[in-house]
Amino acid sequence: MAPKTQREKAVRRNLWIYAGLTPFVFMAVFPIYWMVITAFKQDPDLYRMENIPFWFNMAPTLKHFETLFYQTNYGSWIINTMVIAFWVAVITLLTAVPAGYALARLRLPGAENIGIAIFMTYLVPGIILFLPLSRVVATLGLQDSWWALVLVYPTFTIPFCTWLMMGFFKTVPLEMEEAARVDGCGQLGALIRVVLPVSLPGVLTSVIFAFTLSMQDFLYGLAFVSPGDQKPVPVGVPTELIRGDVYYWGSIMAAVLLVGLPVAILYNFFLDRFIQGITGGVVK
Amino acid sequence: MTTASLRGGPEPSARAAVVSVPVVTSRRPWWRTHTAQRHIFGYTLLAPAALYVLLLVGAPFLFSLYLAVSDANVGDPVAKFVGLDNFRAAWEMETFWIALRNSVIFLVVAAIFKTLLGTSLAFLLLQNFPGKKLIRGLVVIPFTLPVAISVLSWKWMYDSQFSVINWVLSRLGLIGTYGSASWPVWLGQPELALPACIAVNVWRTFPFSAIVLLAGFTAVPLEVLDAAKVDGCSFFQRFRHIVTPMIFPILMIGFLFDTVFTLSDLSVVYLLTQGGPANASKILPVLAYQIGIQAGNLGRGAAIALFLVPLLLPAMILVLRNIKRREW
Repeated sequence: MAPKTQREKAVRRNLWIYAGLTPFVFMAVFPIYWMVITAFKQDPDLYRMENIPFWFNMAPTLKHFETLFYQTNYGSWIINTMVIAFWVAVITLLTAVPAGYALARLRLPGAENIGIAIFMTYLVPGIILFLPLSRVVATLGLQDSWWALVLVYPTFTIPFCTWLMMGFFKTVPLEMEEAARVDGCGQLGALIRVVLPVSLPGVLTSVIFAFTLSMQDFLYGLAFVSPGDQKPVPVGVPTELIRGDVYYWGSIMAAVLLVGLPVAILYNFFLDRFIQGITGGVVK
Repeated sequence: MTTASLRGGPEPSARAAVVSVPVVTSRRPWWRTHTAQRHIFGYTLLAPAALYVLLLVGAPFLFSLYLAVSDANVGDPVAKFVGLDNFRAAWEMETFWIALRNSVIFLVVAAIFKTLLGTSLAFLLLQNFPGKKLIRGLVVIPFTLPVAISVLSWKWMYDSQFSVINWVLSRLGLIGTYGSASWPVWLGQPELALPACIAVNVWRTFPFSAIVLLAGFTAVPLEVLDAAKVDGCSFFQRFRHIVTPMIFPILMIGFLFDTVFTLSDLSVVYLLTQGGPANASKILPVLAYQIGIQAGNLGRGAAIALFLVPLLLPAMILVLRNIKRREW
């Protein structure tokens, strides 16, 4: 056979890569696809085994979404989720951004150990904390309200975002800050006017993480919030839509789809930042 | 004061001040010195985060130690000291040992699979090819979806009657039809329940393993590798002496995170099987939740949750040493 051209070689190589990736893509995406198609199928279509289940055998329907909004607390859960995420993000930003700056930049005595200590608290799992925290929540009178979650979610977002911000602040050239100081900025002025604007990607990443990490919680929501209308989506759907042994799979999939997909897509947008964040901000 | 400020390190503005107006600085009281001002400023910035974490992680952790040696329960706010009774009771409980064993199996088996999958995926994604961004975006979806949500989708795929997995297996002739003895009920059969839960954990977290590895690889500057190549280092020498030491800290952090999250995660098992059937998939977090919240025995629940600490400790110490060694 004649020697292959450069182009043929490249095509061949890419085909091998695609072949290798196909199982991964299939594995990752199939459950999502299954979610989507279930959410739009009519009930008789869902529970019939003779047909090929991968496509619609009856006309698609929006009935499951209607059930969700008219017959369950789903609307409240979405609002709860958003409001919780908002407050958690606010608390996280107000605490983690200054802390990250102080630890990364101000050469405080003991900064290294404090940084490690804060990082280690992120690794104290909720399963160890949720029983004592249930007492704290009860004492503050927050049980059975989503405010309980606003109180406890920062216990994992603050350590994570402090660590993240520390990485970001270390990448801001010290000279910029020095220049600002020489030009007459105070310490706080230099932070607000020079360092923060440059670290905006880091701040945004912190917001995203405050949101997505809150969405990952199940334990605290399950343990602290029992009234049906106070739950966030990830807790409300499995606890309220599954009644005994009766499953409303169409509605359940519709419910998780509406919230899960936007979160996953948002997270995807920030994937590069996420990578930067956990490697301590490798900036080229 | 001047000596103090000089000893305090090369703080640029302080240096400038000392050089230009040494007379003024020397008259300042200690709290007006630049170093002291910087420290006050710094600790003020640090205080809110440190206090929050101290009050809502540190204090509750100590409180859980107290709960574990008390007979606290949900109905009765007055708890009395019972020594190690809760630990002894857990120790004597058969379910506890099953849960402990299942937790360890869960952790080890899941770690093996996600290391294999994550590593192969990372090597594939390290290449350059058209559509890389899209494909990377697709394969990380399991990790980016909120856990409770993706577990529900699996619960549906594992349905005892309408499982899509079984539909495919049945059509391929690998299993019988619904109702026959060879029809697997993934979440209902003792020997299948735990593997089914582990599979979901692996599915959820293998993209994380891959991302962490990728981050490690991309953190290695190509110039350094090229320089080593020019100097005559073989592929394995470069791997051993440059790539490995550079990505090791990142890998350790990823490994630790995963260990902690896998060991302490209740949602996968709780949502799929609640630990059943007959404790076949019971793991420590589920047991702690069921005893602490559902049965209301806070003390006993806290004691069981604390049994996770010795499991987590080796991983934590390993990483702590690693971070310490990193340049600060």
